[in-house]
Amino acid sequence: MTLKLTDVTVRRGIGPVISDVNLEIVPGEVTTLVGPNGAGKTSLLESLSGVIAVSRGSVEMDGADLTKMSRRRRARAGLAHVEQGRMIFPSLTVRENLQLTARTGADLDEALALFPELEKRMASVSGLLSGGEQQMVVLARAFAAKPKYLLLDEMSLGLAPVVFLRLIPIIQQIAQDGAGVLLVEQFAHLALNIASDAMVITGGRVSYHGPAKTLLDDEGRLRSAYMG
Amino acid sequence: MAIIGALAAGLGAGGLYAVIGVCLVLMATLTRVINFSQVAVGVYAAFLAIRFVPLGVPPWGIVLIALIVGAAVSALLGWIIATWLPEATGTARSAVTVAGLLFFLSVSYLQFGTRPQALVPLVSGPLVSFGVVTITKLSLALILLAVALAVVSKLVLTKTPLGVQLRAISDRQTAAELIGINVKVLQIGVWAFTGAVMALAISFAGNSQAANAGVMVNLIIPGAAAALIGAFKRMDLAIIGGILLGGIQGLLTAIPSINLLRDWIPIIIIVIFLLWSQRKEVWDVAR
Amino acid sequence: MSLAERTTRGRRVGRPLVIAVIALAIAAGFAFGLPAYIVFLATTVLVSMIALLGLGVVTGTAGMISLMQLTFAAVGAWVAEFLAINTPLGTMFGGFSFIFIMLIAGLAAAVLGLLVGLPALRLRGVNLAVLTLGVAAAADATFQKISFPDAWTNVRMPRPFDFPADPAGDRYYFLFTAVVTILICLGVYFLQSSRWGASWKSVAFSERGTASTGTSVRWAKLTAFSVSAFIGGISGVLLAAQISKVNFMTFLPINSLALYVLAIVAGAHLIDMALFGGILFVLVPEILKQFGVPLEWGNIVFAILGVQALTSNSNLGQDIRNSIFRRRRKRLGLGIAEKSLDTLEGGETIPIPIGTGRTLLTVRDVGVEFGAVKALQHVTLDVTEGSILGLIGPNGAGKSTFVDALTGFLPQHTGEFVLDGVPLQGKLVHQRAKLGLRRTYQQDRVPPTLTVGAFVNFVTNGQASEAEIDEVLDFFGCPTASTPISVVDVGTRRLVEVAANVAARPKLLVLDEPAAGLSHEEHIEFGQRLRLVPGKYGVTIIIIEHDLDLVRSVCSTITVLNFGQVLATGKQDEVLSDPEVLKAYMGETEML
Repeated sequence: MTLKLTDVTVRRGIGPVISDVNLEIVPGEVTTLVGPNGAGKTSLLESLSGVIAVSRGSVEMDGADLTKMSRRRRARAGLAHVEQGRMIFPSLTVRENLQLTARTGADLDEALALFPELEKRMASVSGLLSGGEQQMVVLARAFAAKPKYLLLDEMSLGLAPVVFLRLIPIIQQIAQDGAGVLLVEQFAHLALNIASDAMVITGGRVSYHGPAKTLLDDEGRLRSAYMG
Repeated sequence: MAIIGALAAGLGAGGLYAVIGVCLVLMATLTRVINFSQVAVGVYAAFLAIRFVPLGVPPWGIVLIALIVGAAVSALLGWIIATWLPEATGTARSAVTVAGLLFFLSVSYLQFGTRPQALVPLVSGPLVSFGVVTITKLSLALILLAVALAVVSKLVLTKTPLGVQLRAISDRQTAAELIGINVKVLQIGVWAFTGAVMALAISFAGNSQAANAGVMVNLIIPGAAAALIGAFKRMDLAIIGGILLGGIQGLLTAIPSINLLRDWIPIIIIVIFLLWSQRKEVWDVAR
Repeated sequence: MSLAERTTRGRRVGRPLVIAVIALAIAAGFAFGLPAYIVFLATTVLVSMIALLGLGVVTGTAGMISLMQLTFAAVGAWVAEFLAINTPLGTMFGGFSFIFIMLIAGLAAAVLGLLVGLPALRLRGVNLAVLTLGVAAAADATFQKISFPDAWTNVRMPRPFDFPADPAGDRYYFLFTAVVTILICLGVYFLQSSRWGASWKSVAFSERGTASTGTSVRWAKLTAFSVSAFIGGISGVLLAAQISKVNFMTFLPINSLALYVLAIVAGAHLIDMALFGGILFVLVPEILKQFGVPLEWGNIVFAILGVQALTSNSNLGQDIRNSIFRRRRKRLGLGIAEKSLDTLEGGETIPIPIGTGRTLLTVRDVGVEFGAVKALQHVTLDVTEGSILGLIGPNGAGKSTFVDALTGFLPQHTGEFVLDGVPLQGKLVHQRAKLGLRRTYQQDRVPPTLTVGAFVNFVTNGQASEAEIDEVLDFFGCPTASTPISVVDVGTRRLVEVAANVAARPKLLVLDEPAAGLSHEEHIEFGQRLRLVPGKYGVTIIIIEHDLDLVRSVCSTITVLNFGQVLATGKQDEVLSDPEVLKAYMGETEML
């Protein structure tokens, strides 16, 4: 029971933006996708959640063909996609944001337990929160849904390192609770530290796929992937 | 006194404008559409329902039929837009409602002819009278309908899980889909709701505004003026705007010399509010 | 002009004129060869076609919704009748009076279009729709009350050149209408090919992109609406003289709706499709009449076709064109990688431009906040004239926010920008463009409805000659000027956007990830050309890029943004070897 990508290629406009990805997300583990910026990593996540289509290849979630399912069905089947850019519902309060995905009051309380800072902001309109707080709301909302697979797209974007460090153990916790996490990050070190499996995307192609630890220890390889 | 009398007489129309305005605001905020066919749908439903009068259906039954037809027909249009234009701009989606307006108006003419329709009088007679000033029961009924609509909508939107989902959809449709909200069904539900409300309002108002389909459908314009006063976002302002509009139009009937100007009041109000609302130049990311 | 230029220019003007002459000949044949009733109907077809052409300008090209086209016709008819019947203008110039009256009536309609268009311009196109519907209804009520001048005194609207109002006169009148139609078609064709037309297509595609070229979006929309009103007015005058007795029922708002829907269905911005639409508009009711079917069915059919056209985001005209011309989605032109640079300049490596030493742009303490999020804080930097500055930083660092603030899309920012001694405070987007500040976009903002040449011409505000345009396109390895952008792939469209903005010879050009979508070899070639741009075209460049190889190859100075603040700024080698910069990109912090 995994989220399995086989030879996946995603196109934007006329050209492919990421090609020939073979990846398996295992429940309970964190897989990370790193690499310099270019639309490829985000497009891959979007093709998994159904925002855009997969041009070639297949995606199977727990044996079912994901590409045949609507976005809503994929979400209901246990796939949670936390998009880039802190996609809170700005006119809703923090509590309302969480109520959208928590199936029971207990789920909501569990989500809140991970983010005690949100406790005093429950009645605040989420559009007025700081960037870090908004990112917490988004993550709490995803967690409250008790997903089987969690896709996280560039959570660190625009966040101070201190804030992002705060979120790292929570991601680990989510994985420990049984979800398979696919973490897309441009900030490689932090992501590699909590991942078991790592993939580096350079120029739309997979340039490394293997244990995260190996990459962490090989500074030169990582640097060349980023700085050229 | 005559002036105040004329003002009071305009309240009925104002109430109707307010109902239309609130419906338009709901549609605009929840389904990203300026629904040009809003009134036409209600008119079609109300006119179709009275076909059942000779069959001995009681008045409340007629209204029920109108509600069902209004909901169904509006939902059909909503389904078309939600299925084929889910991510299109508001302008593209609204353009479909223009075609919808043409469609329902033509079908109304076809089925019911061009002569005025005798709608079942549901509420008639004066409520209060002070000399020349008469406030009819109908005026009050329509104003109450508009207020009730706004209050119920507000309550549902702020206090129920359904309302939270609807507001989430209007904030960020894709993000709502990604957390499993059934965007399509909910949006079609909003279409059905406003369709039923319009059918109800037209059933009430039909007699006092007695006319054929074309004249009834023209009501979309003062209704849109009322909604514009609320910037297509605020129901309370739409209600006030609608009543004010009806009042001003009524007032002007007491001054026969500006007979021609009366027809241009809604437009002038629309223009004033457009000029006011675009004082500051704002670029949104999408354009 | 060279011989080659003269030939293409001549071909562009010559072809429509030839078609016009042929059309005129056909019209003459119709006028005197067909039965009188058909000729009468055909006149109505032409009148409808003219109304549709006007609608096509505003809906198809400028992308707005106008629901009052027949009101413009009514105004035209009313003014023309008034002038012809109630003023000496009707007979002052003998047979030619009609033409003068027609033009004045058209102008009257255009003025109404201006008045209506002004308030609704800055907001979404739907607001214009609401307004036009309202004006149509109010005008309808007014016309009912005041009626038309021909009804006041029971004098009919006279025809041009004293054509009689009988079947014989109808034939001459048809020919006259055909001439007017052909002239309007030519006018619309040349307008659409001109910068006005390019501005309309650009506005329909992207308002931001249009403003960045120095074109006022408001002006573009206003011209589109006024032109459509003028043409609508003309159609009304012609109708009034054709049927000699018009009233409010001729110009009902519901028929304006039907006309709008028909314009969408047919694709009335295409001239041949406007003719087709006119035929439909007249033929469908005629056929229904013949078969005793109620006329409402015509509108119902139009409505259903309209929904179909809108949901498939296409129209009959486009579908037919697509099936005839299969679109070729391959790289066109020589391509930047295939054209080696040593055929252009000397064989040596081109040095990275370092500039003249004079400061062109000063940025002082710029900040931008979105609610509680501080997107930019205390950004201060200087750009040297004639150099290329690299603006880099991780995703989310605020680079695009910076460009938006610089180019005028975020008027609420704090701090100041001074370009060549001129403070940019308070200047609108298109005003900054006119001051010599241009930018390109990350997302595709090149309208596919134009040709490459028309787009470049538009971006340069007509200031560049054909030779200059061809030269810049060739320099960047872009397809030739006559290529429609719709067949050009996304990566090359970016190049075209860059070329067009360079051709505009701005003082400062900001490129936002211009090389995304190009292959690795093309990145290198692009870099080579960029290095030549400041010297060759006198343009200073700020480039935002993620490809650090490209940045290394063109930038003498680099500024690094991180979390909305300037992390490092200075010479290329210093900045790129700064360990803080490395950390920012890869996310190391002291805490680990």
